[in-house]
Amino acid sequence: MNRPEISVHGLTKSYRVPERGAGLKATLGSLVQRTYRQVEAVQDVTFSIEAGEIVGFLGPNGAGKTTTLKLLAGLLHPTSGCASVAGFVPWRREPAFLRRISMVLGNKSQMLWAIPPLDTFRVLGEIYGVPPAQLRTTLDELITLLDLTALVTKPVRTLSLGERMKCELVCALLYRPSVLFLDEPTLGLDVTMQARLRVFIADYNRRASATILLTSHTLADIMALCSRVLFIHDGRLRYDGDLRTLARRLAPFKFIDLMLYGDDPATGDDAVLPPGASVVASSHGHLRVRAERAAAPAIAAHLLQTLPVEDLTVEDPPIETIVDQLYRGGPR
Amino acid sequence: MRYVRLVAALFRAAAQQQLADRADFAFGLLQSILNLGAGIIGLAVLFGQVRTLRGWDFPATLALLGTYLLLRALYGLAIGPSLDGLAGVRGDVYTGRFDFTLLRPVNVQFLSSAERWHPLALLDAALGAAVLVVATGQLGRALDAARLATFLVALMAGAALLYALALACATLVFWLPGLFFTWLFDIVFELARFPAQLYPPWTRLVLTSIIPIAVITTVPAQALTGTLHVTSLAGAVALAGAALVAATMLFRRGLRRYASASS
Amino acid sequence: MNLRAGWALIGTTWTMRLQTRGLFFIEALSWMVAPLAFLFVWVTAAGSGTVGGFSRGEFVAYYLLLIVIAQVTNVQHEWTVGDAIASGDLNRLLLRPMAPVLDVLAQDVAAVTVTLLFAFPVGAVLALLLRPELHPTPSDVILFFPALTLAWALRFCWSYALASLAFWTSRAGGLFSLHAALLFLLAGQVAPVALLPKPLRAVAILLPFRYMLGFPVEVLSGHLDATGIARGLAWQLGWLIVCLALARLLWRLGVRRYTAWGG
Repeated sequence: MNRPEISVHGLTKSYRVPERGAGLKATLGSLVQRTYRQVEAVQDVTFSIEAGEIVGFLGPNGAGKTTTLKLLAGLLHPTSGCASVAGFVPWRREPAFLRRISMVLGNKSQMLWAIPPLDTFRVLGEIYGVPPAQLRTTLDELITLLDLTALVTKPVRTLSLGERMKCELVCALLYRPSVLFLDEPTLGLDVTMQARLRVFIADYNRRASATILLTSHTLADIMALCSRVLFIHDGRLRYDGDLRTLARRLAPFKFIDLMLYGDDPATGDDAVLPPGASVVASSHGHLRVRAERAAAPAIAAHLLQTLPVEDLTVEDPPIETIVDQLYRGGPR
Repeated sequence: MRYVRLVAALFRAAAQQQLADRADFAFGLLQSILNLGAGIIGLAVLFGQVRTLRGWDFPATLALLGTYLLLRALYGLAIGPSLDGLAGVRGDVYTGRFDFTLLRPVNVQFLSSAERWHPLALLDAALGAAVLVVATGQLGRALDAARLATFLVALMAGAALLYALALACATLVFWLPGLFFTWLFDIVFELARFPAQLYPPWTRLVLTSIIPIAVITTVPAQALTGTLHVTSLAGAVALAGAALVAATMLFRRGLRRYASASS
Repeated sequence: MNLRAGWALIGTTWTMRLQTRGLFFIEALSWMVAPLAFLFVWVTAAGSGTVGGFSRGEFVAYYLLLIVIAQVTNVQHEWTVGDAIASGDLNRLLLRPMAPVLDVLAQDVAAVTVTLLFAFPVGAVLALLLRPELHPTPSDVILFFPALTLAWALRFCWSYALASLAFWTSRAGGLFSLHAALLFLLAGQVAPVALLPKPLRAVAILLPFRYMLGFPVEVLSGHLDATGIARGLAWQLGWLIVCLALARLLWRLGVRRYTAWGG
């Protein structure tokens, strides 16, 4: 019970990639001799995750998130380091291990294309050795929950992207795995569908006590589902903890939005601004001030007194901007 | 036992899909018959000009054609489509779909070889078997149990060798993912339409030892006509076994090399 | 005519083909296997004498020529264009300021040049090994070139017409396979048309397939007399006019349907 569900130590993965130039000349050159460069996809990553947690992986493209997930699913052998998932060493790929985990890859489909989804579900049930009665119950449950009843007998190519992704989830969950790896599950879906999938995932986590690792570019997914994020940049783990704490640490200020009475243009050259505050934007009747976190209440009070304020809001900087900043430079 | 149930499930799903459409079925039947016709007419043209060719007459060569069609149909039933699915720019390896195959608690080689089924190939198999029966009738000697047994052993060895060669070809996809190696195999397997003896000596050597395609069909056909030496049969069986082992080892090496396509 | 675009297209196709360096060899090689098999079989049949008026050397010459000429006339657009139609990829081509046929033509030129680069040396080596006998008259050689050009044009238009069928049915692929079987029998691959049994020979002379491949080979190998060549050229021209009209009509109707349906 004390052993974490997932435990990773010093995980490293690097490999050689052939260099390919553009244009005819480079191509002819590569016919004769191939050059390679070394890619450090994952470097010395260490963390652990308890059973039942939902953890988000953040990071720019190519940072190493998907590679880490694949290492934990046993699809890749690490160059060095060790990991344990549900008590197994992933890359040994023992059948008992494979029956406990599941992976959803956002841009790849695991359904057999030529047959309707329901048949794929049955085949997968056979592959994972799910007893027929249990399979029926689980499928009924999942199909109803995800609103798929009308769709599971239609050919796969007639389904929309959202419907296909829902089927992917059924594929992933029909054998009740205890560890779920979701790689960009909401990729390409519309906002409504994303929200519904989020609800479903959170629900599954509660009901089945499944451990979920999620990577997503949609910040809303991470914020809605994950209490904890791992930020990976350039193959290294830069941050492990709560997202809001990270945001607060990176952006130790708040925004104060002011709506002003009257016709006088809100002026930034008003000498009335106290230290620790600076104007970010100003327009007719509106002023946005950036204030150091500690001094924010005092600054707000000061502004209320000195300006004809109709309305005032104090808020944290949007996480998107912080994450954006993270992606570009990484936390210092 | 589990694998048998799995195969049944896969076959049933594919059959429901493929055989549902009557027009598709009729079309497939037409194609099978036409392919058969082309093969037989080809032989008829050849033997319209000569009576025997290096010891092979029309019935004997027809028996070989029947063997060829039967084995090719059995290949096209599951192994062909499944291995094909690995290769090419839309294939599992190149697109990274192969990740899912690796995630299954099932032997990867088995799944790679038997995931996709093409039940219509049973039509071709039936036609091939029919040709075999006709040819055997024309051979002029009644078929006794011993010859039949020899034929079946030779046929199984041929099938095993066929699988081993196809697997080896498909495994190349792990080194060069975008290329359709299985297609290459299909093309080269065409050479098995004719008895090995019909090719010039050096070609015969290549086709019986280096890329032993000819062994797949020639040996069973010889068994049927009663011209097969025991040593040749033993050799074919040994070759098939060795090829299976080698191909399996090659596949394992290919798996180790596989680094899934990054997103 | 946008020549610059055309050249650019040829350039990119070259690059693409050379990049996948394996693919180029495999494709070129795969084409040669079937004719080679028949070459060997007929050579064996001829032995030291003749079969149907063809000696050993003449069979070698016929099939080597077939192999090289097939590189020019056997570019199979029904598959590539048909695929573009079925997959919706045609949209991309229709959006360009050039007719899609130019894209196809450009690919053709690139493909043919590249495969000929491979075919000629291989053909030369095979000629050295197999010692063909070739006795064309000067007029044969001169008339070969129009025969070859017409054959290529005919094949091109025919495959375009075939490809257009994909606008109406998703089972076009099956039709293409059927067509391939017919080509195999009647275009001179199974045997030179002269060696086909009488009824089949009559059909072969009527249908366009011979004129896409077998006919130029027959001209250059010197087996046709003046009337034979003249008649053949007339058939070629006739079929070319028919196929060109058919291709244009079907294509236009098909594109209209395709764009009306929203691809």
